[in-house]
Amino acid sequence: MSDDGVLERVQAIVAGIAGADRTPAVVGPDTPLGEDGFWLDSVDMLEVLLACEREFSTSFPANLAGAALATVRSLAEAVRAR
Amino acid sequence: MTPPGEAIPSARPGWRAIWRARPARVSASLWAVVILLDRLPWPWGEGILARIYLLKAIFRGTRLRRALRWAGAQTESPIARWRLAVKLCSYYGRFVARLLLVGFRGPDHFGSQVVVNGEEHLAAARGHGVILLGFHLGPPGAALALRATGHELTWARGWGDSQSGSGEGWRRFHQEGEMLSLSQSSTSLGGVLYEARRVLLDGGVIYITADGGRGRRAFKISAPGAPMIIRSGWLALCRHTKATVLPVLTHLDGNRQVVTIHPPLPPIDGDPARAVERCRAALGQVIAPYLREHPEQCYSLVFGRREKKKRSKDKRRPPSARPRPGTPAERALEPPPDRSP
Repeated sequence: MSDDGVLERVQAIVAGIAGADRTPAVVGPDTPLGEDGFWLDSVDMLEVLLACEREFSTSFPANLAGAALATVRSLAEAVRAR
Repeated sequence: MTPPGEAIPSARPGWRAIWRARPARVSASLWAVVILLDRLPWPWGEGILARIYLLKAIFRGTRLRRALRWAGAQTESPIARWRLAVKLCSYYGRFVARLLLVGFRGPDHFGSQVVVNGEEHLAAARGHGVILLGFHLGPPGAALALRATGHELTWARGWGDSQSGSGEGWRRFHQEGEMLSLSQSSTSLGGVLYEARRVLLDGGVIYITADGGRGRRAFKISAPGAPMIIRSGWLALCRHTKATVLPVLTHLDGNRQVVTIHPPLPPIDGDPARAVERCRAALGQVIAPYLREHPEQCYSLVFGRREKKKRSKDKRRPPSARPRPGTPAERALEPPPDRSP
């Protein structure tokens, strides 16, 4: 478990939005949020970002880069950076 | 209005800079043609590109066959069918020219060829978050047309670069931030929606397309020849912001681009399924007359190929990931699940 638990909490948020039917059998920090991972679409991504806002009482920068939405780890790093 | 054929002087960057400005999805050969045609007085280049695309359709065959098939669903007369197919192919070339702003020397020149109808709907809705809901029907760049005629908005472009003015006037237009493109720094459509939501909550105006090659399907609008697939991004934005949704359609009337802002869609509230059904019915009433009046400008319904790609991508998904409970429209509107870790 990471020191601050951000990674695990982000992963739980992503898995909750993806649902059991889209969550891969083996999930890790480097599981892609989109294709070949959780298969989240743009609306799901929006829901993930809003859930992270609520969970971590933060907001993301206006120029949120697509790379931040690549994997659970990159999203967790974006949360930590705030 | 600038008369057709009148050359407008404009400071231009060097050839190398223009060549390097080629948008990623434009082939080198097309870009070379566009650079040359851009030197001609407007709208000569557009007319030439229309003929090039018509000839391409005739020689390659596939595009013409698709146009004929679609035209057959619009009219029974063989002559009318061929005429419509030919118009479709040449309008496609005109729209490529418009996409790449061939011959337009700057925003003022472009704006002088635009007529906007229904501005009163936008004026009435301003201040509380407005979604201008565009469609891939008619000439591209309705957002640009609105901005060039003085309507402040943010363009929620998902990907790619859909316009490429190379003149000084266009560069200034972008540098001053008069025309915002959410996708310039965000490659993810989810990031685009997130940023669009913030603009709407701040009372801004977002231009976003309802149909397109990517995104979750919300519902279909029946149309002869091919249904129109409506995506969910704008519905999600609407649900999160309670923004007013104004459908926007555009067509070419001669050389003028007419942009029509329609009255607001019913609010997305109450029962999600019913709200979506109300929106579907209202959008159908907006789209149907357009399809009847401007079938030659419905290129996306005829030449759109992205759905095919998506199907092949779907095959890679694990079977368990494909079906999801509820209709797509319901899922677009369903409240986020409880995600307490």
